[in-house]
Amino acid sequence: MKSFGSYISKHLASFAAFLLMLILINLLLFGLTFCHTVFSDYGDTSPRAMLEMTAAAASTESLTEEAAEKLRQHQIWALYLTPEGECFWTLDAPEEIPQSFSIQDIASFSKGYLMDYPVFVWNTDDGLLVLGYPKDSYVKLTSNYYSMETIQRLPLYLCGMLGMDALCLFLAYYISKRRILRNTEPIAAAVRTLADGKPASLQIAGELSEIAESVNKASLILSRQNESRANWISGVSHDIRTPLSMIMGYADQIAANENASDTIRKQAEIIRKQSVKIKELVQDLNLVSQLEYEMQPLHKEPIRPAKLLRSYAAELINSGISEAYTMDIDIAPEAETTLLEGDARLLSRAVSNLVQNSIRHNPQGCDIRLSLKTADGVLTLTVADNGVGLTPEKLRELEHKPHYIDSTDERLDLRHGLGLLLVRQIVTAHHGSMRIESSPNEGYRTVLTFPAGSAKSPAAGSGTANSYPVVE
Amino acid sequence: MDDSFLYCKKLLLVDDEPDLLNMVSDILKDAGFQTVFTAASVKEAVSKAKHESPDLILLDVMLPDGDGFSLMEQLRTFTDVPVIFLTAKDEPADKLAGLGLGADDYIAKPFLPQELLLRVCAVLRRTYKEDAPLVALDGCIIDFSRAEVLKGEKRIPLTAKEHTLLETLARNEGRIVTVDALCEALWGDNPFGYQNSLNAHVRRVREKIETDPSKPVSLITVKGLGYKLIARK
Repeated sequence: MKSFGSYISKHLASFAAFLLMLILINLLLFGLTFCHTVFSDYGDTSPRAMLEMTAAAASTESLTEEAAEKLRQHQIWALYLTPEGECFWTLDAPEEIPQSFSIQDIASFSKGYLMDYPVFVWNTDDGLLVLGYPKDSYVKLTSNYYSMETIQRLPLYLCGMLGMDALCLFLAYYISKRRILRNTEPIAAAVRTLADGKPASLQIAGELSEIAESVNKASLILSRQNESRANWISGVSHDIRTPLSMIMGYADQIAANENASDTIRKQAEIIRKQSVKIKELVQDLNLVSQLEYEMQPLHKEPIRPAKLLRSYAAELINSGISEAYTMDIDIAPEAETTLLEGDARLLSRAVSNLVQNSIRHNPQGCDIRLSLKTADGVLTLTVADNGVGLTPEKLRELEHKPHYIDSTDERLDLRHGLGLLLVRQIVTAHHGSMRIESSPNEGYRTVLTFPAGSAKSPAAGSGTANSYPVVE
Repeated sequence: MDDSFLYCKKLLLVDDEPDLLNMVSDILKDAGFQTVFTAASVKEAVSKAKHESPDLILLDVMLPDGDGFSLMEQLRTFTDVPVIFLTAKDEPADKLAGLGLGADDYIAKPFLPQELLLRVCAVLRRTYKEDAPLVALDGCIIDFSRAEVLKGEKRIPLTAKEHTLLETLARNEGRIVTVDALCEALWGDNPFGYQNSLNAHVRRVREKIETDPSKPVSLITVKGLGYKLIARK
């Protein structure tokens, strides 16, 4: 989700940068548009510069020819008034301009127009210099006053306005980011869930509801497909069971029938053995698909792995394991009290698959050793044999190549036994991990580790027993 | 343990597949069971269960006119006969449903004949155990009904725990019984921590049943796993 948040931040930040750039461009355009005017308002030809120049060049008698020439160039006329309102002299003054002025006249034109001519005045020691510009060349503000308070408030207003604008922008950014995230977060989460192959469900109102609907639809399709795949496998394995029962049953009877010839009995024995293999395959396939698609919740409860291991080994020996194989069981005293939150049936199945693998790959016989240890809250269950083992290449293959159920690779030789896949799935479902160790003729070991707790022995206080068995 | 009493028990098989019905019936008859009834539907099963009063019913979960679980509920209204489910599913949900109803065991198809016989005999033995009060061992005879060991002329009494221990082993004669299972039989659920007591009981039992308790031939230790009882051949 972090990536999504930063994605939105990035976009909103670039939007803010764009706004800033727009303002800068506006300022630039403003400058370009008005630089000429600014020049004429404040440059060499501005009224102020003209007034200064004229005042410097003017005396009560006359104006220097140079200054007069400059004024004429800009079509400016000039008056130089005595303190009494009479003219010392005039320069190019239009006819309608009077030759003398009352105080009222001066007061009114000094900040505005004289006969519609924008005029500018300049105080000299001797009198008042008046420059008249052509009509419509300047606009004069006739009421150019502001209260002091207004001026004093201006910086505060400017800072406040800028600050508020920034704050508003940031708030808009923050709120829209949160709103987008709030609406998109579930979508992103749902897509991630889907990517893990798990069903997702989204409830979103508003503009994004369409996306939510699509995600829900995709999820539905996915889970339906998974479900139908699991159901299909379960259905096939179900339908195979009854006929297989009969194959196994009759093959077994023929194999034991004393009236049949040796060859027939041997062949029947092969049929029996192979059908047992099919049976195991069918069971594994069904379990793998059930676990894969989480079609079946685990029946987890606190179990004692020590007991599970013993009961599995006893069952195996009781069912009549061939003489070629020996079964050793080694449970460390401290592992005796270890509890594991797990599904006994599945864990037993995992151990069984590993033992059966050892038996299958060592037809000449081998010693099989089941051991259990606990250290630092980690339970280690090892199934080891001293058989033919694996070459390093085979071992690598076993660890890295996906099973055909997980693989989209059509080359079916890139696969290994369903049994091991099931073991891996069961171990994963119990938050454990699995490691395979093997080298040629050094045997084959599978080490399963699980996080485990310890149980209190109910008889510990009675003094009658230790918490571990000593089978004499 | 002498299993011959088991073979006069009447069995009822319920399955919709006639071929399977024939085969299972053959397997059971070959093994020595004299009376095996078959039924292919719920209706037939109920009627046979009522009229033939079988000692054990093997029940398929899927039947043409209903399922095994509801049939079992129906059966339970008039009989407490032990029931073993025979099903083509191995999901634990089904298993729990079957055992929750009071089914005695559960066999998943496909199965080998030995497995079937083993389970059938185990359930029968468990249900009708009082029929086998005597077990002959190498050096003695155990009389479970009187809780005594007959060793030559001597009659040695068994304590309650020793009786349970021997009975549990005898029920699984020739098969390994794990220390866990023995402790559970002797001290009930969650019995771990009692293993040393178990050892003590085993020692005392050996003194009573073995000719030479230091070299046991009847009550044998299986290292790391448990014990097994060997009957006289």
